[in-house]
Amino acid sequence: MATEQDSGDTLRDSSRSGPYVSAVRWMESLSETQFAYFLLSPALLILLLIALYPLIQTFGYSLFADQLTGSSRLGEFVGLQNYVALFTGARDFALPSAFLPGFSSSFPFVTGIYSSALMVTLIFTVVSVLFETILGFVQALVLDQDFRGRRWVRVAIIIPWAVPIVIQGMIWYLMFQPNIGFLIGTQQNPTFLNTLGLSFTPLRNTADSLFLIIVADVWKTTAFMALLILAGLQSIDRSLYDVARVSGATNWQQFKMITFPLILPTVLVAMLFRTIGAMRVYGIIETMGGCTTVPSLSCLVVTTFNNSMYATSATVAFVTAALIGIVVSVYLVKFADAEEGF
Amino acid sequence: MATDNQQGAFETNRDAEIKRGPLETWVGKVIKNPKRAYRSMFYVATVFFLVTTLFPFYWLLVLALTPNNLISNMGLLPKGFNPGVFVTMFERVPFHLYMFNSFVLGLTTTVIVLLLASLAGYVFGRLRFPGRTFLMLAILAISYFPPAAFFLPLFQLFTGGTNLVLGPITVSSPDLFNTPAPMVLPFSALFMPLSIFILTTFYGQIPDGLEDAARVEGTTRLGALFRVIIPLSAPGVATAGVLTFISVYNEFFFSFLMNNGEASSWAPIVAGILKYQGQFDTPYNLMAAASIVGVLPVAILVIVAQERIVSGLTAGALKE
Repeated sequence: MATEQDSGDTLRDSSRSGPYVSAVRWMESLSETQFAYFLLSPALLILLLIALYPLIQTFGYSLFADQLTGSSRLGEFVGLQNYVALFTGARDFALPSAFLPGFSSSFPFVTGIYSSALMVTLIFTVVSVLFETILGFVQALVLDQDFRGRRWVRVAIIIPWAVPIVIQGMIWYLMFQPNIGFLIGTQQNPTFLNTLGLSFTPLRNTADSLFLIIVADVWKTTAFMALLILAGLQSIDRSLYDVARVSGATNWQQFKMITFPLILPTVLVAMLFRTIGAMRVYGIIETMGGCTTVPSLSCLVVTTFNNSMYATSATVAFVTAALIGIVVSVYLVKFADAEEGF
Repeated sequence: MATDNQQGAFETNRDAEIKRGPLETWVGKVIKNPKRAYRSMFYVATVFFLVTTLFPFYWLLVLALTPNNLISNMGLLPKGFNPGVFVTMFERVPFHLYMFNSFVLGLTTTVIVLLLASLAGYVFGRLRFPGRTFLMLAILAISYFPPAAFFLPLFQLFTGGTNLVLGPITVSSPDLFNTPAPMVLPFSALFMPLSIFILTTFYGQIPDGLEDAARVEGTTRLGALFRVIIPLSAPGVATAGVLTFISVYNEFFFSFLMNNGEASSWAPIVAGILKYQGQFDTPYNLMAAASIVGVLPVAILVIVAQERIVSGLTAGALKE
């Protein structure tokens, strides 16, 4: 901080010189625009190097063939063939888990849903975001009340959000390992959850693991949803409720006519953030069930990478990014509509 | 006639009071006064959320305190009392080293993010210049992309597989695998956007007069930022710092893939927790104990800084 002090004095004392002083003088001579870009440059540089360059490079890799042997990582240039192979199912034989589900002309039309990375990711995203929204809304309504111990209830609700993903996975792994807990029984001694249809080794079974991973995700991230919705609830003008009460509106009518429409934009933003997060799902799967049991898109990127299929891996990675881009733009359009409505 | 009726009504009433159980009495009261129903719904919901969020931690404690050979068909109480597990866990895996690595990675990232995001937040919050909106949207867009989309080129870059062309010279990138850099740099890029948005909000709220006064006193523009604006926005800086640290501590993708999993290679707690899975046994009690120890720092941080976390999450996310 002593040097900062210097800079204050040197401006008036123009007789002083040296590299530091001239740097300060140079900085002060910049126009506002130049100064803005100068200050932004370190942040932009790191974003360019760590985010933009890899993103473009990932797309670049996806245009080459896989090279499984030899010293070079990529084969010859094949254009968009990797994407074609991925979306027609022609690549599935080489993948650790299929990308698309199978299709058939008879009921149920779609087969192998749980072995398809795309379907697993979509199911995970839709179901977990749905439950997080509903439960988050209820949590927000609870936290919106004034009661003794509110602060501690809020801490309890936030803590799962702060739990590291690997520990979140470990917790749910330890709850659903066969034989150790009261949640999963044995053939002779089934528990309540087993009679409901959960298998005796749920973390080895794709459908069951997916279900449990969704539960674990809802446990961790509902709090995030609740906090955003709570902020929305508390920004509603309380006098609206007074007016409604004077006009004789019931609680349900107040909720339907005031709370819900005013909170909707916030809920949509919160859902957008959660959808983006859910589509990246990887860590919780890796710790709980393993990527072979529940193949999400991010899992497929890593497993193909580990099998040295760099081009395929890059293709799946870029498709994941593009899917997220589509979701984001759909939400943004919807959100713009919702904003106009009020 | 009238008295008869009244008499009858009185009798049925008394009759009912005798027969009603506590639930029915309560239902009767609720019908008369719906507020009670809301109140009890509220209590049911609160208790439900408290139990569902806290039970998993209790389960960890139950497993940790039970000696490993007794862990099977566990009920709700530990079978035995073995606090020594919190010593054994450090003997089996140097978990303290992994925790130390996590702290170093978290603090380094936080310092980098706070410094760069402070400059960016100052620019976005207080300066008007062409390209401002575009740049903000671009930074927001970057935070949307999945880590998987960055992974391959970054892995190649940090393992020395990328050729950097510097004018006439071409050098291959330095092999930084198993150093903090391949984790700290992606963390900084991934978590910076949130801090930029939080700090933009906070810095934008400082009245122009204060900055002008500092300038008249003879400070440079940067001097005004570091001596007037940042100190006045201390709560915002603390918020951004806490959120960044928690995000790094929680991160899985790069923490798992950008090192070989050894404590000496700067692997964070991700690798530490996963290391307990032995080749010949599965020490559930040690896994549970390590999870408890690993959660403690963030749990304490949440209790101490909950106001900051709440305001930061909502400010950062609802900015757009």
